[in-house]
Amino acid sequence: MIKKIEDLNYYELLEISTDASSQDIHRAYDRIRKIYEPNSIALYSLFSAEETTSINQRIEDAYRTLVYEESRKRYDALLRQSHQPPPATAAAPLAEKRYQAQPVQPSLSLHSDNRYLKNAEPAQEPLPPPMPAVVIPTPQPIPPTITEFTGSVLKALREQRSITVRTLADMTKLGTRYIDFIEAESFSKLPARPYLRGFLVLYAKALGYESERLVNEYLKRYDAVMNPPKQK
Amino acid sequence: MIEIQDALRKKEIWAVGGGKGGIGKSLITGNIGITLARLKKRVLLVDADLGGANLHTTLGIGVPEMTLSDFLNRRVETIQEVIIKTSIPNLSLVSGAQDFLDAANPNFAQKARLLRHLETLDADYILLDLGAGTSFNILDFFLFADHGILVVLPEPTAIENAYRFIKSAFYRRFKKVVSSQNIKDLIDAAMDQKNSMGIRTPYDLIERIKQLEPESGEGLELEMMKFRPKLIVNQVRTKNDIQIGFSMKSACQKYFGINLEYLGYVEYDDCVWQSIRSKRPLAIEYPYSRPARCIERIVHNVLRKEQLTASMLY
Repeated sequence: MIKKIEDLNYYELLEISTDASSQDIHRAYDRIRKIYEPNSIALYSLFSAEETTSINQRIEDAYRTLVYEESRKRYDALLRQSHQPPPATAAAPLAEKRYQAQPVQPSLSLHSDNRYLKNAEPAQEPLPPPMPAVVIPTPQPIPPTITEFTGSVLKALREQRSITVRTLADMTKLGTRYIDFIEAESFSKLPARPYLRGFLVLYAKALGYESERLVNEYLKRYDAVMNPPKQK
Repeated sequence: MIEIQDALRKKEIWAVGGGKGGIGKSLITGNIGITLARLKKRVLLVDADLGGANLHTTLGIGVPEMTLSDFLNRRVETIQEVIIKTSIPNLSLVSGAQDFLDAANPNFAQKARLLRHLETLDADYILLDLGAGTSFNILDFFLFADHGILVVLPEPTAIENAYRFIKSAFYRRFKKVVSSQNIKDLIDAAMDQKNSMGIRTPYDLIERIKQLEPESGEGLELEMMKFRPKLIVNQVRTKNDIQIGFSMKSACQKYFGINLEYLGYVEYDDCVWQSIRSKRPLAIEYPYSRPARCIERIVHNVLRKEQLTASMLY
């Protein structure tokens, strides 16, 4: 009945019921992220910096698993299974569990300056054994050739996560038309730059990225076409 | 019908503490008292801040003739004799000890006598204003109350102390329920944050106890569920400050396994400072000010057994 934070399932972590709607999940995620905001003065005396990082990572994992219908179904099935026999991981030492809370998907690790993930990069280490966290649709690792977020790269990243344009539209409240235009880089059909910026932020969040780099790189491409530097 | 009336008549004891000094415990206690008295409840305020009593000042009363030290010192027989009527209908006060040097550290018998007398008093609500710190006396008053209320400021120092207070109160409560000396020693050892057994959180402690004595462990788990301290964030200036209460609530749940109830916050306003300076209670001097409204809301939350939820804010 009383559980350690490492043992909370994703629903308990987000403080929602197992039949929560996707809107509830969005809201819970927003709320819980504010609660565990890494610089919060309410946390540092209880949780160490690493623990806060790991909690935040788990919150991300939980959100990303529950928000997509497919991965949520898989996770629910896993939960139901683990109800009969206690999860094999329950006895695993703490340190190992913490490690498993680290991301299994490449999602955020693109950013070298990401403060959430300072200790998440060791890719050489053997992958942890399958855990609930693995139910996230594991995207292909991003090819190292990607140096820029172009429209086609965005599309590829979206498809890696098996998110359809329709789902993305639901998540971001963007029209499917605009998502298509963004991915096709049909700059002239897209709305003015400030609106586009907002769209891209939403897109980035849906993919699980810090928006800054994605938005800037995309807008640079946009500017090159739409606002070419004035020639003499 | 009679049962309902009995339930209504049952007196409640609220204790207001918080670990750190100067965070508005007395001010909040006094004004909660006034708010309750306005709701036609008979309220008795007890200044249990034995070392540094000043609840009377927040109510605008001069240094009283009869104080708690007369009672503790057995200069009077019953606590009734040290109760002072205030100018506010339904509200009376037992002022804190003023002179008696040892009153800050009453011995066990004195404390027991005080608590025993408090239980016999005829009032709807008894509010205990606790002092700063986490000494045993303060913790015992806090645990004795029906509602233990913690005050914090949105500042690192106050929050640290609040956690320390919760932890100490909780371990003390633990110690009172277990009978085995081994477990008591274990709890003592666990209080030391750098203990050699690797017990860092109450979870670790319970797990350890379960290994040793499964029955006590389960008892303690139950005890953990029953312990529901309440939280007030005072001197709130921004929305982020309000958020701190939710963060503390969630962190307590996930770290300690303790259900902290977030009663509400009190907004920062100069009128509080002005009311203290003029030695007139806030709820009387500025009844429509935002802080006074906040306190009313807190009182309503306690009476309705409700707490603040995030959806009320966003």
